[in-house]
Amino acid sequence: MTTALAVHGLRKAYGSRIALDGLDLEVPTGTVYGFLGPNGAGKTTTMRLLVGLIRPDAGTLEVLGRPYTWHDRHRLFDVGALIETPSFYPFLSGRENLRAAAATGAPVARGRVDALLTMVGLRERAGDKVGGYSLGMKQRLGIAAALLSDPSLLLLDEPANGLDPGGIAGMRDALRALAAAGKTVLVSSHILPEVQQLADVVGIVAKGRLVREGRVEELLEASAVVRVKVSQEASAGAQAALAPRFGAEAVKLSMAGDGTWLEIHTAGSRSAEVNQVLAQAGVYASRLEPGSDLESLFLELTGEGSADGGLGIGGVA
Amino acid sequence: MRLVRSSLRKLVRRPASWVTAGLIAALLLLVYLGIGATVNTLPTTGPRAVGRVALLNILTFPGAYDGVATQLLDLGGLFGLAFAAAVAGSEWGWGTLKAAVARGESRSRYMLGSVGALVLAAGLAMVVVYGVGIGAAVLGASLAGVSLTGLSDAATIGGLPGTLLHVWLGLAEEIAVGFAVATLTRSQLAGVGAGIALFFGEQFATLILPDVVKYLPFNAASAVVERANLAAGGSPAALPPDQATLVTAIWLVAALALVAGATERAEIGS
Repeated sequence: MTTALAVHGLRKAYGSRIALDGLDLEVPTGTVYGFLGPNGAGKTTTMRLLVGLIRPDAGTLEVLGRPYTWHDRHRLFDVGALIETPSFYPFLSGRENLRAAAATGAPVARGRVDALLTMVGLRERAGDKVGGYSLGMKQRLGIAAALLSDPSLLLLDEPANGLDPGGIAGMRDALRALAAAGKTVLVSSHILPEVQQLADVVGIVAKGRLVREGRVEELLEASAVVRVKVSQEASAGAQAALAPRFGAEAVKLSMAGDGTWLEIHTAGSRSAEVNQVLAQAGVYASRLEPGSDLESLFLELTGEGSADGGLGIGGVA
Repeated sequence: MRLVRSSLRKLVRRPASWVTAGLIAALLLLVYLGIGATVNTLPTTGPRAVGRVALLNILTFPGAYDGVATQLLDLGGLFGLAFAAAVAGSEWGWGTLKAAVARGESRSRYMLGSVGALVLAAGLAMVVVYGVGIGAAVLGASLAGVSLTGLSDAATIGGLPGTLLHVWLGLAEEIAVGFAVATLTRSQLAGVGAGIALFFGEQFATLILPDVVKYLPFNAASAVVERANLAAGGSPAALPPDQATLVTAIWLVAALALVAGATERAEIGS
């Protein structure tokens, strides 16, 4: 498999603050790569480096199979990017803004602007001034701008910001379609479920370093968990019954708001076995949920507490 | 060329472009109609009579042709400087420069394209506003009862293209300086503020260091056209027009080089 984007030993500091501390990444061609990390982990700094907005202090970059430095601006003709918030002239309409963007960088095919406005669902509002757009509409326009030159590599920084559920689903479908057409999409996010549903490969960064990289299925398997709800009185017996079969370290007791839960870190396919062991021990579960705990894995890898608001939803799938 | 065309389209759609040109035209109207309406209330004898004569000279053609040009240069320079600083600062503030760079556009070409469009737009606006100014001077002269026989002076009219080209050069230099200041500050507000502070700072410095300040950008730009008298804003220490033209051209090139250099070297954050 070829590599669309490779980063080795990337370092960047802003004064005394180290944003990237030897980051390594490899993004396979034709995949959606989820670039995951808590706020301040170095995701946006990486994006800025990839499009030549800032210079690295050390390290190498390869874009679409060839070394890339900040002077190689023509290489960006084949890259589309949405970095941080979408950037537009508030006094121009959506269509005029895309035309202004099309006047820069790589040439843009005739009719492309209107086709993209249709694709992102802004055709009817294309004549309105961007100053009056909602955050979600600006985000859609930003995605359209990133796609102007039909790039082979797409870099999207938190693209779901401000999008409604329908917009997120539409964006997900569009990005999956691009990957299916052989294009490579790198999506940075701190929202786990979004990346889990969208990405083929995930790279998790923390404090400017890559702490885990792999296919989503592998990570989900590594974080697989079977959750069992039992009565508080039966919890100790259940834990004692499960520990010999699944390992004492794999069985954890947690007191949630809705009762007592046992978390058995094992593949979902072993749910029936869990149920059988409990029944044999005379413990009857009121609920049993196979799934994965990517959130716990993420928190463990990044050393983050649960205080990060972006991680508070849907960690268990 | 597509960058300049695109920048021109943006300027046309930008409300501040029209407001700036409209303000300069309105001020010219105000000045000439104001003089025309009030000059005859001044005494014809005594010390204030000198002022009356100077004001009548402003309304008298063919001299009014150059007078309007110098007024346009002075007002247009200040407004052009502030407007250019706002345009440059907004490229940083709104992140549109960032978006262009991320698309692989040359940083310096993008910014110089913006300056080029500003200078072209200023040239077009200058011609229109000059026409408004001449109309205002004619109206002012009529109000004051000043003869309009000099209006058709062939020699002055023949020299108008040259005069306006010099005004345009002065405006272009002041626009480029305003753009350069905002490129360094990377902010619309700071750029406009710093540009205006430099402009007035230079005017005040004329009082204490006239022989040095006459070479500075705004003084040199304002001296590119011949000023008939001090009432039209001339300074006794100003450079002669030919020399001022050369110095203005040097400042213009220096400002453009600063814009290109600073943009190429900048790390573009948020």
